[in-house]
Amino acid sequence: MHIPDGFLDLSICAIMYAATAIFWAFSFRKASRVLSDKQIPLMATLTAMFFAAQMMNYPIIGGTTAHLLGGPILAMTLGPYAGLISMTVILLIQALLFGDGGITTFGANVWNMGVIGVFIPYIVYLLAVRISKSQRALLVGAFAGALIGDVLAAVFAGIELGLSTLSFPYSVSIAVTAMATHHVIIGIGEGAVTTIIVSVLQKTRPDLLQLPKLSPGWLGGA
Amino acid sequence: MTGVKRMLMVGIVFSSFFVVVGALWLSNSVETLDEVAEHFGATDSPIWNPPIPDYEIHGFEGNVMVNIAVGIVFTVIVLVSTFAVGKSLRLLKSRA
Repeated sequence: MHIPDGFLDLSICAIMYAATAIFWAFSFRKASRVLSDKQIPLMATLTAMFFAAQMMNYPIIGGTTAHLLGGPILAMTLGPYAGLISMTVILLIQALLFGDGGITTFGANVWNMGVIGVFIPYIVYLLAVRISKSQRALLVGAFAGALIGDVLAAVFAGIELGLSTLSFPYSVSIAVTAMATHHVIIGIGEGAVTTIIVSVLQKTRPDLLQLPKLSPGWLGGA
Repeated sequence: MTGVKRMLMVGIVFSSFFVVVGALWLSNSVETLDEVAEHFGATDSPIWNPPIPDYEIHGFEGNVMVNIAVGIVFTVIVLVSTFAVGKSLRLLKSRA
């Protein structure tokens, strides 16, 4: 889902940089106040693991491939603010060193995979946990959050492409439909892996799921 | 071994496993976005020449061992970078 340079109009790139900058400002300010000594090594470890996990591309439909994003697990363990910082580090290194994602489109990529791909899974997961404290609700929330987050991130990528009339002469609906259709499959994969990881963490390291979350107050932030 | 060191070691081991699997068996990348964009005629126009395009060092394309080494080295760089970002944020807090 890494959008390269040239796919989006510069006006769309500027809007996405501005929108993402708001979340960056909140995230870095909150993290500088709340991030604990216990969370820093966990954040570094998870960021490195998902950077590596993104190198594993598994085949899906139509000859295309997919890879794990990792945003849902980052959000569920650290909270969405720290998750956004982690995804920003991953996407920045991928763009600058490997050309995986563009420079002009960096704001859009962080918005899709860092803001939408982290905040939406966290909100869905939190809702499920608040509705029921059972293990089933926790796992359903983890799966649904990852699936919905992935599909919505693809929908946003489709909207950005569709609105880029200079570089992509097709309507928003065409771009969104094309992106979302494939990403339902990818989202199911992300949901399945997220559910397995949450299930394993719940049995082996439940403390990692119960750390104070770096998130807005209305999302139960620390 | 302290909890933090154990956590970092576990992270490096798992990450190395992902890199090896990614380099050996799951390296073929055909992103949906690229396919969709290509189908509709959009083309990329990079404004930056990355030093390691497509995760492969120039002159060593297709060399699995080099790709694994690159993957592990840069995974450690991501780990150290994120650790540094976290520590910097803590430093900002202590100065505030």
